[in-house]
Amino acid sequence: MNVLEVRSLTKRFGTEKAVDGLGFELAEGSATALIGPNGAGKTTTLSMLAGLLEASGGEIQRKKNLSIGFLPQYPRFFPWLSALEFTEMAAKLSGVDPRKARQQAERTLGFVGLGQVANKKIGGFSGGMKQRLGLAQAMVHQPSLLLLDEPISSLDPTGRREVMELLKSLLGQTTILYSTHILNDAEEMTDQLLFLQNGRMVEHGSLSQVRSRYADPQIRIRFENTNAAERFVRESPWPAAVQGTAAIIAVKAEGPIMQDVFRFLSVKSLQVVGVEQETASLEDIFLKVVAGK
Amino acid sequence: MKQFSTLLLKEWRENLRNYKIFWIPVVFILLGVTEPLSNYYLPQILDATGGLPDGAVIELPDPEPEQLLVAVMGQFQLIGMLVLVLAYMGSIAGERRNGTATLLYVRPLSYVSYFLSKWLMASIVALISVWAGFLAGYYYTAVLFSAVPFGEFLVFAATYSLWMVLVVTLVLFASAAMPNAGLAAGLTLASLLVLQLIDSLFGSRWEWSPLKLPNYAASFLDIGPDATALIWTLAISIMCLIGLAALGIWFSKRNRAKTKV
Repeated sequence: MNVLEVRSLTKRFGTEKAVDGLGFELAEGSATALIGPNGAGKTTTLSMLAGLLEASGGEIQRKKNLSIGFLPQYPRFFPWLSALEFTEMAAKLSGVDPRKARQQAERTLGFVGLGQVANKKIGGFSGGMKQRLGLAQAMVHQPSLLLLDEPISSLDPTGRREVMELLKSLLGQTTILYSTHILNDAEEMTDQLLFLQNGRMVEHGSLSQVRSRYADPQIRIRFENTNAAERFVRESPWPAAVQGTAAIIAVKAEGPIMQDVFRFLSVKSLQVVGVEQETASLEDIFLKVVAGK
Repeated sequence: MKQFSTLLLKEWRENLRNYKIFWIPVVFILLGVTEPLSNYYLPQILDATGGLPDGAVIELPDPEPEQLLVAVMGQFQLIGMLVLVLAYMGSIAGERRNGTATLLYVRPLSYVSYFLSKWLMASIVALISVWAGFLAGYYYTAVLFSAVPFGEFLVFAATYSLWMVLVVTLVLFASAAMPNAGLAAGLTLASLLVLQLIDSLFGSRWEWSPLKLPNYAASFLDIGPDATALIWTLAISIMCLIGLAALGIWFSKRNRAKTKV
């Protein structure tokens, strides 16, 4: 069951196409990461899905009565309202029963970790607190679709971890579409990856699908010193390269497998510190996708 | 209209916590008080600023109390209006510009409630200011000179109040239509100046014009305005007000995409 289907979505600003023929689907309860370099059209796409921007072409099909929560990249608040006052207003404007709005706002603020400062004026909030409040206003009406523009980029590592855990706990009942350039985190929470570049979708699929397309698994053998690594490269029967104190062997179809490497190492009695098989990280894939094609 | 009370509460808190609800009436009270006071103390003021040449005798006639109230209105027409325009020029354009509107516009927002909540709050502040200023002027005029009949004063202030609400509606319309607060203020002031110029140059050819509201208000202190002209002017003013509000609502909805994301 899809909560949202997008077909050949296009947005023109003047003659420039900010978003060009985008098409994808969001399955209920799934997490989708929108990835791409700056200016790829991520924010424009999210704004159109949130109903802030009118699309120039294509269609967005929402599930009936779909309620949406939206977190902009830099959420801006009325500084003279308290966190609770703002969240309660957000709940009421999103159609929450006015009698339950305050209670729901309090609960949501507690959930994002702002319970202690609920009655403080937003004007005195730090960037991280505003980001959390942004999350609170996006989810206070318990929407079935959350659109989050860079929800974790401006947080410190602890905050990032907490917010990721919090978002993961929502999955299942809530569908999440988020943009990010913190690829480690995207790796952790994606059922679907959408790569945007210059407004076009240059790659998409599940993490493992995309990975297999760009996978260049390699074996990294770490030695105690560079000499050992160089000796390995000289003597090994496979094409290898030195990288610091390590030697890297690309694992191609015809290449060695782990066992061959271990056998060779034990015969040569080289001082090995560690051997590991590496798959391409999302960051590697990102760089390839952006550079290639 | 379920959202109206929610949005009105927000506007109330904004005006309260930005102190607009206090300082704007204070400005109007000062304007209302200055006119009778400076007239009363005119001889002393002349003395203090160097005085008159020896032997010169000038009889200063006591001003009519009605003249003083009309002079107060003149101050409102200039400084008072400027204060209101500057205070409310950013109501909508400013929210869009600084991005605070985004978190409102992503919700199923009723733009009728959005615009009218701002309009009502600004009108309340304008009305409090006008009445506080006029009452202060009325009081000091009565104490220092003589009292204007209170009934005449009431219709005078009431008629002028409608004019001020019309100005507030114009500011909010401009704020909805223009991309930023400065342009909104520019549009408001420019259109008021041009219209007032036209009305003062050619205004003798027509009697029904919202721009004549202050004149008709003033004439209540004198012989009173012509009833038909007044009724038509009131009717046209209210129609203008509704028209401006409707356009303001339309523009605030149309310009929602201009909010900073």
